[in-house]
Amino acid sequence: MGFKYIGKNDIQRPNVIERATGKAVFIDDIKLPRMLYAKILYPEYAHAKIVSIDVNEAEKMPGVVKIVTGQGWKRKFGDCIHDRLPMATDKVRYIGEPVAAVVADTERHAKEALKKIKVQYEPLPVYTDALEAMKEGAALIHEHSEEHFYVSPLYAPIPGTNIALKYEIKKGDIKKGFEEADVTVEKEFNFPHMSSVAIEPHATIALNKEDGTFEIWTANVGPFAVREQVAELFEIPVGDVRVHVPHIGGCFGYKSDPSIEPLVAYIASFVPGYPVKLRLTRREDFTSTFIGRGIRSKIKIGATKEGKLVALEEKLYLSTGAYADTGSNILIVAVQASGGAYYFPNAHVVGYSVYTNTPPVGALRAYGHPEPEFALERAIDILARKLGMPGTELRRKNFLSEGKSNAVGEKMKKSDGNLYKCLDNVEKAIMSEKTPKEDENYYYGKGFAALIKSPKAATFASKGCHLKFNVDGSVSLNMSGADVGQGLWAVARQIAAEALKIPPEKIRVYNEIDTQFSPWEWQTVGSAFTFQGGNAIIRAANKAIKILKENAAKVLDRDPDTLEYDGEYIYDVSYPEVRVPVNKICRGYVKEDGTTIGEVVDVTSYYRLPGAQNPDPETGMGRTGVSYTMGVQGCSIRIEKKTGKVLIDNFATSIDVGKVINPKGIRGQVLGGVVQAIGETLSEQIKFGEDGKILNPNLIRYKIPGIYDIPVKQTIEFVETPDEIGPYGARGVGEHPMIGVAPAILNAIYDAIGYDFYEVPVTPDKIKAVLEKKQQEEEHE
Amino acid sequence: MNRITLTINGIKRTIEFEGHEMLLDILRDKLGLTGAKHGCDTGTCGACTVVVNGEARTSCNLPFRMLDGAEILTIEGLSKGKQLHILQRAFIEADAIQCGFCTPGIIMHLYALFNKNPNASDEEIKEALSHHLCRCTGYTPIFEAAKIAQEYIIKKERSSK
Ligand code: FES
Ligand code: FES
Repeated sequence: MGFKYIGKNDIQRPNVIERATGKAVFIDDIKLPRMLYAKILYPEYAHAKIVSIDVNEAEKMPGVVKIVTGQGWKRKFGDCIHDRLPMATDKVRYIGEPVAAVVADTERHAKEALKKIKVQYEPLPVYTDALEAMKEGAALIHEHSEEHFYVSPLYAPIPGTNIALKYEIKKGDIKKGFEEADVTVEKEFNFPHMSSVAIEPHATIALNKEDGTFEIWTANVGPFAVREQVAELFEIPVGDVRVHVPHIGGCFGYKSDPSIEPLVAYIASFVPGYPVKLRLTRREDFTSTFIGRGIRSKIKIGATKEGKLVALEEKLYLSTGAYADTGSNILIVAVQASGGAYYFPNAHVVGYSVYTNTPPVGALRAYGHPEPEFALERAIDILARKLGMPGTELRRKNFLSEGKSNAVGEKMKKSDGNLYKCLDNVEKAIMSEKTPKEDENYYYGKGFAALIKSPKAATFASKGCHLKFNVDGSVSLNMSGADVGQGLWAVARQIAAEALKIPPEKIRVYNEIDTQFSPWEWQTVGSAFTFQGGNAIIRAANKAIKILKENAAKVLDRDPDTLEYDGEYIYDVSYPEVRVPVNKICRGYVKEDGTTIGEVVDVTSYYRLPGAQNPDPETGMGRTGVSYTMGVQGCSIRIEKKTGKVLIDNFATSIDVGKVINPKGIRGQVLGGVVQAIGETLSEQIKFGEDGKILNPNLIRYKIPGIYDIPVKQTIEFVETPDEIGPYGARGVGEHPMIGVAPAILNAIYDAIGYDFYEVPVTPDKIKAVLEKKQQEEEHE
Repeated sequence: MNRITLTINGIKRTIEFEGHEMLLDILRDKLGLTGAKHGCDTGTCGACTVVVNGEARTSCNLPFRMLDGAEILTIEGLSKGKQLHILQRAFIEADAIQCGFCTPGIIMHLYALFNKNPNASDEEIKEALSHHLCRCTGYTPIFEAAKIAQEYIIKKERSSK
């Protein structure tokens, strides 16, 4: 099929000029009349009973309007598990948990008054690691977790323990599988806690009006989830909460579930009629929103001596933090993704989401996938060594392909993609040059990893498109996909232009989301916008064209199905000169005498993943992913002997995206995703003290990549096996470039220095320690 | 109250302030110039960068009281109405703007760099960019944008000679 706008590069990102000129309105740029400012008091302990809170002195401080505590509040909130309170009541469970808030005329006054609040605590034992919190006799972080509301038995906790959720999948016969295995590998891996670190910290404004309704402005890609959870918290109709989303300065996961919004709404409820702004400092952004990853895995895989994978056995432990609502979903996804891009006839994987005294674990780009696929891709490399086979060959022998099922038993279709082509591309890019021999300054190595991910979300998750034809034939497009930089506005414009056959310039794309006017959408997550949003646009376009034809049929005295649409006219297929211009019929048709007939062309359509299911309660299996995007990544690296620094000479990514909609945009997703994942691989980690305090809550000590940390070169190539149901054949890709990076680099590190790392980040000092040890051993010999 | 006089985006202004404010606070809270952003408030991310007396400076840690008589240019002063600055056009062309939160700071830094030295070497461009964090783009498109802009700037200089 020839496309006019799909796959073309000359489509400008809508609203980009606002961003280029500094005029785009981000949450912290918003000032409202009567606005007050909140500052939050945090505990001295990561796990403690609150004995007393004294606000007397604080109340007398200049500018103070109100001191808010959680005392007396009962209702908890959440999505799948309701275990959170807007503010601590009787105990604190992590170091960034809000204990009290000051509302004042200025931030500065609020901050001053905070110092005067006196709180007495009774400290409790602190756990930052699931394995510790799971131990017999560990203090309970939630004493009565069984009393939390949960949406289905899948989310039930194990009472009397810190286990918030256990989830398990069983495929084939694991015992038999290992009996068939000639070679096995059994290892433990760790993907510690990290942060999304958008350059824009979290901020929210909430206004509780005197009539009881709420209006909230926030940097969150799930405004409808915010709306529902706030409504539930205050027991008011969902429609009484209106959420606005301005430009968002990056999301990467942690702005996708309600984080500080319920807190700010709660605070605002104490000062009705006054909007309250809370903007987090960078430190608070680390300590008091969601953190990510935090998964340990114990994995065992087996293969025949010919290299056929026969069994996968794994245990995954998520240190889910103080609240498990999102974390438990991450754990479920991780278990489901544990088989990665490979066919295992037999698998048994068990996951635990365990309460710990860290900030709650939430989404982080590609959540649930980098963690198990890191363990698996490393284990596969180690297995290949044992088999005396190149890792790439072992991978080829076991790739998922048409008719083969993944760990949850979902059979791949041909249209799901072609891993072989992706590996060919990456191998060509990385292997075309020989690995240099160790020299005075460097060791050299190469590594590979495959990746796969579905746009897993709630089964009912939908995206909507509200499409209005304007009187001049131009079109206004309202959707609720948040363009956090991934470029979905451009994709929306292109798909609409293609579907409506009109030039992209005639399509005005929204730049703000408002739950009062924007179509319902679950959340902008899971690399799902192009797929679901794109299909919603196509559906809406078809609906609009249908109405245009019906209107035209009345005007032209024809049956609608004998008419055709070309973007400008509706015309008779057999007599094209019998036609009426679109702009004459998009608000109905006005006859000469003024009487008007026909419909206004203003439509809304939705799209969800067709047939997505919850897993079977018995086996954990099911059609949970529906659409998969797969690919391969590889790299050639050098390790500087003097410093232990890993330098990436070439990082190659090839993903089967079905169809490239926007070449520049998709390249940007890969370039940026790879670099973010390089950060996770080589430097990023939230460090906790034994007392649960975060030791590096700033951008100096939590180091995200800068320009000196990026690969010398990135090679990017897309495979286009059209998806059966994706819009114009396209699939999601926004998160995928994150997934194979850590294992590819760690596999390359082994190739370079013959040492296996099982944990990220591999910082220069860790490599240096290995090199020094190696040198000592060599000197010994 | 303290008071100083300085030039901001070509307009001479006398501003009253309490004394503790950083330049970023005055720009955003007093003057409504919200293009410069709070990213870290510790001089690490570069999102608050503006041009002060020809130099790129992080405004989150620059005390306002030290700026009497200073000349300040922010992203709002860069484009001339609908006429975007070369750098802004180059950033759009190279798709170097994803979320756009880091963009104003980076553009202002490059503006200062190219103003001083239109022929800045790739290393010098990278050095300038090393003062900024961008979580979206992986920097490659930003570097490409800088190079595109540099080419335009050099061409324009040549043709005006
Ligand atoms: S806000 Fe000034 S450097 Fe980050
Ligand atoms: S474009 Fe988002 S931080 Fe740079």
